[in-house]
Amino acid sequence: MSNQKLYKGSLQTIILKLLATNHKMYGYEITQKVKELTKGELQITEGALYPALHKLEADGLLDIEVVKVENRLRKYYKLTEIGTKETTDKLEEMQQFLKTMQHLVNPKFSLE
Amino acid sequence: MKLTKNQIDELYKFTRKHYVYHYDVQSELVDHLANDIEKIWEQTPNLSFEDAKNNSFKKFGVFGFMNVIEAKQKQMNKRYKHIMWRFFKEWFTLPKVTTTIVLFLSIFFFLKIQFSEYILLGTLFIFLIFDVINQFKNRKIQKEKKGKTEKVFLLEAMIGNTKGGFTGITALNFFNFVNLSHINFSALEIHWSIIVSLTATLLCILFYVIHYIIPQKAEELLIETYPEYKLVNNL
Repeated sequence: MSNQKLYKGSLQTIILKLLATNHKMYGYEITQKVKELTKGELQITEGALYPALHKLEADGLLDIEVVKVENRLRKYYKLTEIGTKETTDKLEEMQQFLKTMQHLVNPKFSLE
Repeated sequence: MKLTKNQIDELYKFTRKHYVYHYDVQSELVDHLANDIEKIWEQTPNLSFEDAKNNSFKKFGVFGFMNVIEAKQKQMNKRYKHIMWRFFKEWFTLPKVTTTIVLFLSIFFFLKIQFSEYILLGTLFIFLIFDVINQFKNRKIQKEKKGKTEKVFLLEAMIGNTKGGFTGITALNFFNFVNLSHINFSALEIHWSIIVSLTATLLCILFYVIHYIIPQKAEELLIETYPEYKLVNNL
Protein backbone atom coordinates (compact mmCIF):
# COMPACT_ATOMS: atom_id res chain seq x y z
CA MET A 1 0.00 0.00 0.00
CA SER A 2 1.49 3.33 -1.01
CA ASN A 3 1.37 6.59 0.90
CA GLN A 4 -2.30 7.15 1.70
CA LYS A 5 -1.63 10.74 2.64
CA LEU A 6 -1.26 11.65 -1.03
CA TYR A 7 -4.82 10.55 -1.69
CA LYS A 8 -6.31 12.30 1.30
CA GLY A 9 -7.02 15.62 -0.35
CA SER A 10 -8.76 13.92 -3.24
CA LEU A 11 -11.28 11.93 -1.21
CA GLN A 12 -14.24 14.17 -2.03
CA THR A 13 -13.45 14.14 -5.73
CA ILE A 14 -13.18 10.36 -5.68
CA ILE A 15 -16.56 10.02 -3.97
CA LEU A 16 -18.24 12.46 -6.33
CA LYS A 17 -16.79 10.75 -9.39
CA LEU A 18 -17.95 7.33 -8.17
CA LEU A 19 -21.47 8.61 -7.57
CA ALA A 20 -21.53 10.23 -10.98
CA THR A 21 -20.79 6.85 -12.57
CA ASN A 22 -22.86 4.64 -10.30
CA HIS A 23 -25.95 6.76 -9.63
CA LYS A 24 -26.40 5.72 -5.99
CA MET A 25 -24.10 3.98 -3.53
CA TYR A 26 -23.87 3.23 0.19
CA GLY A 27 -20.80 3.81 2.35
CA TYR A 28 -19.46 0.28 2.42
CA GLU A 29 -20.01 -0.11 -1.30
CA ILE A 30 -17.84 2.97 -1.91
CA THR A 31 -14.92 1.55 0.10
CA GLN A 32 -15.15 -1.75 -1.76
CA LYS A 33 -15.48 -0.14 -5.15
CA VAL A 34 -12.39 2.02 -4.60
CA LYS A 35 -10.43 -1.01 -3.45
CA GLU A 36 -11.54 -2.92 -6.53
CA LEU A 37 -10.84 -0.13 -9.02
CA THR A 38 -7.40 0.61 -7.63
CA LYS A 39 -6.61 -3.10 -7.11
CA GLY A 40 -6.11 -2.49 -3.40
CA GLU A 41 -3.74 0.43 -3.92
CA LEU A 42 -6.10 2.87 -2.25
CA GLN A 43 -8.13 1.86 0.77
CA ILE A 44 -10.50 4.50 2.05
CA THR A 45 -10.66 4.25 5.80
CA GLU A 46 -14.03 4.22 7.50
CA GLY A 47 -13.01 7.05 9.81
CA ALA A 48 -12.45 9.30 6.78
CA LEU A 49 -15.21 8.16 4.44
CA TYR A 50 -18.26 8.96 6.57
CA PRO A 51 -17.13 12.42 7.67
CA ALA A 52 -16.46 13.20 3.99
CA LEU A 53 -19.91 11.94 3.01
CA HIS A 54 -21.60 13.94 5.76
CA LYS A 55 -19.71 17.05 4.75
CA LEU A 56 -20.79 16.68 1.13
CA GLU A 57 -24.36 16.10 2.29
CA ALA A 58 -24.25 19.23 4.45
CA ASP A 59 -22.98 21.24 1.50
CA GLY A 60 -25.99 20.14 -0.52
CA LEU A 61 -23.98 18.08 -3.00
CA LEU A 62 -25.49 14.75 -1.96
CA ASP A 63 -28.98 13.55 -1.37
CA ILE A 64 -29.91 10.45 0.60
CA GLU A 65 -32.25 7.55 0.18
CA VAL A 66 -32.88 4.93 2.84
CA VAL A 67 -33.94 1.42 1.94
CA LYS A 68 -34.68 -1.53 4.17
CA VAL A 69 -32.36 -4.31 3.06
CA GLU A 70 -32.76 -7.72 4.72
CA ASN A 71 -33.00 -6.86 8.39
CA ARG A 72 -31.32 -3.49 8.40
CA LEU A 73 -31.54 0.02 6.99
CA ARG A 74 -29.23 1.03 4.18
CA LYS A 75 -28.44 4.65 3.44
CA TYR A 76 -27.73 5.41 -0.19
CA TYR A 77 -26.05 8.59 -1.39
CA LYS A 78 -26.64 10.16 -4.77
CA LEU A 79 -25.65 13.43 -6.44
CA THR A 80 -27.94 16.43 -6.33
CA GLU A 81 -28.05 18.85 -9.22
CA ILE A 82 -25.45 21.06 -7.55
CA GLY A 83 -23.42 17.93 -6.85
CA THR A 84 -23.36 16.97 -10.53
CA LYS A 85 -22.06 20.40 -11.45
CA GLU A 86 -19.49 20.36 -8.66
CA THR A 87 -18.26 16.95 -9.86
CA THR A 88 -17.41 18.36 -13.28
CA ASP A 89 -15.56 21.29 -11.70
CA LYS A 90 -13.67 19.10 -9.28
CA LEU A 91 -12.63 16.67 -12.00
CA GLU A 92 -11.33 19.53 -14.10
CA GLU A 93 -9.38 20.80 -11.10
CA MET A 94 -8.00 17.30 -10.62
CA GLN A 95 -6.85 17.07 -14.24
CA GLN A 96 -5.11 20.38 -13.88
CA PHE A 97 -3.47 19.22 -10.68
CA LEU A 98 -2.23 16.02 -12.30
CA LYS A 99 -0.79 17.97 -15.20
CA THR A 100 1.02 20.37 -12.88
CA MET A 101 2.41 17.52 -10.83
CA GLN A 102 3.58 15.82 -14.00
CA HIS A 103 5.49 18.97 -14.96
CA LEU A 104 7.04 19.24 -11.54
CA VAL A 105 7.95 15.65 -10.93
CA ASN A 106 8.92 14.57 -14.38
CA PRO A 107 9.69 17.59 -16.58
CA LYS A 108 11.28 15.50 -19.34
CA PHE A 109 8.11 13.59 -20.04
CA SER A 110 5.73 16.46 -19.70
CA LEU A 111 2.72 16.34 -21.98
CA GLU A 112 3.26 19.72 -23.53
CA MET B 1 -23.38 -16.10 5.79
CA LYS B 2 -25.87 -13.36 6.65
CA LEU B 3 -26.34 -11.63 9.97
CA THR B 4 -29.41 -12.49 12.04
CA LYS B 5 -31.85 -9.99 13.50
CA ASN B 6 -30.30 -10.54 16.94
CA GLN B 7 -26.84 -9.84 15.67
CA ILE B 8 -28.06 -6.60 14.09
CA ASP B 9 -29.53 -5.62 17.46
CA GLU B 10 -26.18 -6.48 19.01
CA LEU B 11 -24.51 -4.08 16.60
CA TYR B 12 -26.92 -1.29 17.57
CA LYS B 13 -26.00 -1.89 21.22
CA PHE B 14 -22.34 -1.90 20.24
CA THR B 15 -22.56 1.53 18.61
CA ARG B 16 -24.40 2.88 21.65
CA LYS B 17 -21.63 1.54 23.85
CA HIS B 18 -19.20 3.51 21.71
CA TYR B 19 -20.98 6.81 22.29
CA VAL B 20 -23.21 6.86 19.22
CA TYR B 21 -26.55 7.82 20.77
CA HIS B 22 -28.67 8.78 17.80
CA TYR B 23 -30.54 6.31 15.68
CA ASP B 24 -29.75 7.87 12.30
CA VAL B 25 -26.00 7.74 12.94
CA GLN B 26 -26.24 4.27 14.48
CA SER B 27 -28.12 2.85 11.49
CA GLU B 28 -25.49 3.83 8.98
CA LEU B 29 -22.69 2.42 11.11
CA VAL B 30 -24.61 -0.79 11.80
CA ASP B 31 -25.10 -1.38 8.07
CA HIS B 32 -21.41 -0.72 7.49
CA LEU B 33 -20.27 -3.12 10.22
CA ALA B 34 -22.77 -5.73 9.06
CA ASN B 35 -21.52 -5.57 5.47
CA ASP B 36 -17.95 -5.82 6.63
CA ILE B 37 -18.63 -8.73 8.96
CA GLU B 38 -20.36 -10.61 6.14
CA LYS B 39 -17.34 -9.93 3.94
CA ILE B 40 -14.98 -11.14 6.67
CA TRP B 41 -17.04 -14.33 7.00
CA GLU B 42 -16.69 -14.98 3.28
CA GLN B 43 -12.94 -15.22 3.79
CA THR B 44 -12.86 -16.80 7.26
CA PRO B 45 -16.21 -18.52 7.81
CA ASN B 46 -15.18 -19.95 11.18
CA LEU B 47 -14.55 -16.63 12.88
CA SER B 48 -17.02 -15.86 15.67
CA PHE B 49 -19.41 -12.91 15.41
CA GLU B 50 -17.62 -11.17 18.30
CA ASP B 51 -14.20 -11.44 16.66
CA ALA B 52 -15.46 -10.41 13.25
CA LYS B 53 -17.18 -7.40 14.82
CA ASN B 54 -14.03 -6.34 16.65
CA ASN B 55 -11.91 -6.75 13.53
CA SER B 56 -14.31 -4.57 11.64
CA PHE B 57 -14.42 -1.92 14.35
CA LYS B 58 -10.62 -1.71 14.41
CA LYS B 59 -10.72 -0.37 10.86
CA PHE B 60 -12.28 2.82 12.18
CA GLY B 61 -8.95 3.64 13.80
CA VAL B 62 -8.02 4.68 17.33
CA PHE B 63 -10.78 7.25 17.62
CA GLY B 64 -13.47 4.72 16.78
CA PHE B 65 -16.70 6.35 15.74
CA MET B 66 -15.68 9.78 17.06
CA ASN B 67 -14.85 11.30 13.67
CA VAL B 68 -18.15 10.10 12.29
CA ILE B 69 -20.14 11.53 15.20
CA GLU B 70 -18.36 14.85 14.95
CA ALA B 71 -18.95 15.21 11.22
CA LYS B 72 -22.59 14.26 11.61
CA GLN B 73 -23.05 16.82 14.39
CA LYS B 74 -21.55 19.52 12.19
CA GLN B 75 -23.78 18.58 9.29
CA MET B 76 -26.87 18.64 11.49
CA ASN B 77 -25.94 21.99 13.04
CA LYS B 78 -25.87 23.41 9.56
CA ARG B 79 -29.24 21.91 8.81
CA TYR B 80 -30.73 23.20 12.05
CA LYS B 81 -29.52 26.72 11.34
CA HIS B 82 -31.01 26.45 7.89
CA ILE B 83 -34.39 25.44 9.35
CA MET B 84 -34.19 28.23 11.93
CA TRP B 85 -33.51 30.80 9.24
CA ARG B 86 -36.40 29.48 7.13
CA PHE B 87 -38.92 30.15 9.90
CA PHE B 88 -37.21 33.32 11.10
CA LYS B 89 -37.46 34.90 7.63
CA GLU B 90 -41.23 34.47 7.65
CA TRP B 91 -41.49 37.23 10.27
CA PHE B 92 -40.25 39.76 7.76
CA THR B 93 -42.78 39.00 5.05
CA LEU B 94 -46.49 39.76 5.00
CA PRO B 95 -48.62 39.11 7.00
CA LYS B 96 -46.29 38.32 9.92
CA VAL B 97 -44.18 41.43 9.43
CA THR B 98 -47.01 43.47 10.99
CA THR B 99 -46.55 41.53 14.24
CA THR B 100 -42.82 42.21 14.03
CA ILE B 101 -43.42 45.93 13.60
CA VAL B 102 -45.94 46.05 16.45
CA LEU B 103 -43.50 44.15 18.65
CA PHE B 104 -40.68 46.53 17.76
CA LEU B 105 -42.79 49.62 18.47
CA SER B 106 -44.09 48.18 21.74
CA ILE B 107 -40.57 47.50 22.95
CA PHE B 108 -39.42 50.90 21.74
CA PHE B 109 -42.15 52.79 23.63
CA PHE B 110 -41.97 50.46 26.59
CA LEU B 111 -38.29 51.36 27.07
CA LYS B 112 -39.29 55.01 27.37
CA ILE B 113 -41.26 54.30 30.52
CA GLN B 114 -39.39 55.14 33.68
CA PHE B 115 -37.92 52.11 35.47
CA SER B 116 -38.52 50.04 32.36
CA GLU B 117 -35.38 48.03 33.14
CA TYR B 118 -37.08 46.55 36.21
CA ILE B 119 -40.10 45.52 34.21
CA LEU B 120 -37.72 44.06 31.64
CA LEU B 121 -35.92 42.10 34.32
CA GLY B 122 -39.25 40.83 35.62
CA THR B 123 -40.30 39.73 32.13
CA LEU B 124 -37.00 37.97 31.52
CA PHE B 125 -37.31 36.25 34.87
CA ILE B 126 -40.81 34.98 34.11
CA PHE B 127 -39.58 33.78 30.73
CA LEU B 128 -36.71 31.95 32.40
CA ILE B 129 -39.06 30.14 34.76
CA PHE B 130 -41.23 29.06 31.83
CA ASP B 131 -38.18 27.88 29.98
CA VAL B 132 -36.95 25.80 32.89
CA ILE B 133 -40.38 24.15 33.18
CA ASN B 134 -40.41 23.55 29.44
CA GLN B 135 -36.94 22.06 29.45
CA PHE B 136 -37.86 19.80 32.32
CA LYS B 137 -40.95 18.53 30.51
CA ASN B 138 -38.97 17.98 27.32
CA ARG B 139 -36.23 16.05 29.07
CA LYS B 140 -38.85 13.80 30.61
CA ILE B 141 -40.47 13.10 27.26
CA GLN B 142 -37.10 12.39 25.65
CA LYS B 143 -36.11 10.15 28.52
CA GLU B 144 -39.33 8.17 28.35
CA LYS B 145 -38.90 7.82 24.62
CA LYS B 146 -35.33 6.72 25.04
CA GLY B 147 -36.34 4.11 27.57
CA LYS B 148 -39.05 2.72 25.35
CA THR B 149 -37.67 2.63 21.84
CA GLU B 150 -34.12 3.92 22.08
CA LYS B 151 -34.60 5.45 18.66
CA VAL B 152 -33.90 9.14 19.05
CA PHE B 153 -32.75 10.92 15.90
CA LEU B 154 -30.03 13.53 16.12
CA LEU B 155 -32.16 16.35 14.76
CA GLU B 156 -34.96 15.31 17.12
CA ALA B 157 -32.64 15.71 20.09
CA MET B 158 -31.51 19.08 18.80
CA ILE B 159 -35.06 20.36 18.41
CA GLY B 160 -35.99 19.08 21.87
CA ASN B 161 -32.93 19.80 23.96
CA THR B 162 -29.94 21.68 22.63
CA LYS B 163 -31.91 24.04 20.36
CA GLY B 164 -28.78 25.12 18.51
CA GLY B 165 -27.46 26.72 21.69
CA PHE B 166 -30.32 29.19 22.16
CA THR B 167 -31.70 27.83 25.41
CA GLY B 168 -32.73 29.53 28.63
CA ILE B 169 -29.06 29.99 29.41
CA THR B 170 -28.93 32.64 26.70
CA ALA B 171 -31.87 34.39 28.35
CA LEU B 172 -30.08 34.12 31.69
CA ASN B 173 -27.11 35.88 30.15
CA PHE B 174 -29.33 38.73 29.02
CA PHE B 175 -30.88 38.86 32.47
CA ASN B 176 -27.42 39.22 33.99
CA PHE B 177 -26.38 41.76 31.41
CA VAL B 178 -29.37 44.01 32.05
CA ASN B 179 -29.07 43.47 35.78
CA LEU B 180 -25.38 44.26 36.06
CA SER B 181 -25.05 47.00 33.46
CA HIS B 182 -27.47 49.34 35.30
CA ILE B 183 -28.56 50.93 32.04
CA ASN B 184 -31.30 53.46 32.40
CA PHE B 185 -33.26 52.61 29.25
CA SER B 186 -35.67 55.51 29.50
CA ALA B 187 -32.77 57.99 29.34
CA LEU B 188 -31.15 56.48 26.25
CA GLU B 189 -30.61 58.54 23.13
CA ILE B 190 -32.98 57.78 20.27
CA HIS B 191 -30.52 55.82 18.12
CA TRP B 192 -29.55 53.63 21.06
CA SER B 193 -33.22 53.05 21.82
CA ILE B 194 -33.76 51.90 18.26
CA ILE B 195 -30.78 49.56 18.35
CA VAL B 196 -31.83 48.07 21.69
CA SER B 197 -35.46 47.65 20.57
CA LEU B 198 -34.44 46.10 17.28
CA THR B 199 -32.09 43.63 18.95
CA ALA B 200 -34.77 42.75 21.49
CA THR B 201 -37.33 42.24 18.71
CA LEU B 202 -35.03 39.95 16.75
CA LEU B 203 -34.21 37.95 19.86
CA CYS B 204 -37.88 37.57 20.78
CA ILE B 205 -38.64 36.21 17.33
CA LEU B 206 -35.65 33.89 17.43
CA PHE B 207 -36.70 32.48 20.80
CA TYR B 208 -40.26 32.05 19.63
CA VAL B 209 -39.16 30.21 16.49
CA ILE B 210 -36.79 27.91 18.38
CA HIS B 211 -38.99 27.22 21.38
CA TYR B 212 -42.44 27.02 19.81
CA ILE B 213 -42.54 26.89 16.03
CA ILE B 214 -39.79 24.38 15.36
CA PRO B 215 -40.87 21.92 18.10
CA GLN B 216 -44.45 22.16 16.78
CA LYS B 217 -43.28 21.23 13.31
CA ALA B 218 -40.82 18.63 14.57
CA GLU B 219 -42.45 15.63 12.95
CA GLU B 220 -42.75 17.33 9.57
CA LEU B 221 -39.10 18.41 9.73
CA LEU B 222 -37.93 14.96 10.77
CA ILE B 223 -39.78 13.30 7.91
CA GLU B 224 -38.23 15.82 5.54
CA THR B 225 -34.73 15.19 6.91
CA TYR B 226 -34.86 11.45 7.37
CA PRO B 227 -36.35 9.29 4.65
CA GLU B 228 -36.32 6.43 7.18
CA TYR B 229 -38.25 8.30 9.88
CA LYS B 230 -41.64 7.04 8.73
CA LEU B 231 -40.34 3.55 8.23
CA VAL B 232 -38.88 3.36 11.72
CA ASN B 233 -41.84 4.88 13.53
CA ASN B 234 -44.46 3.09 11.44
CA LEU B 235 -46.17 6.32 10.49
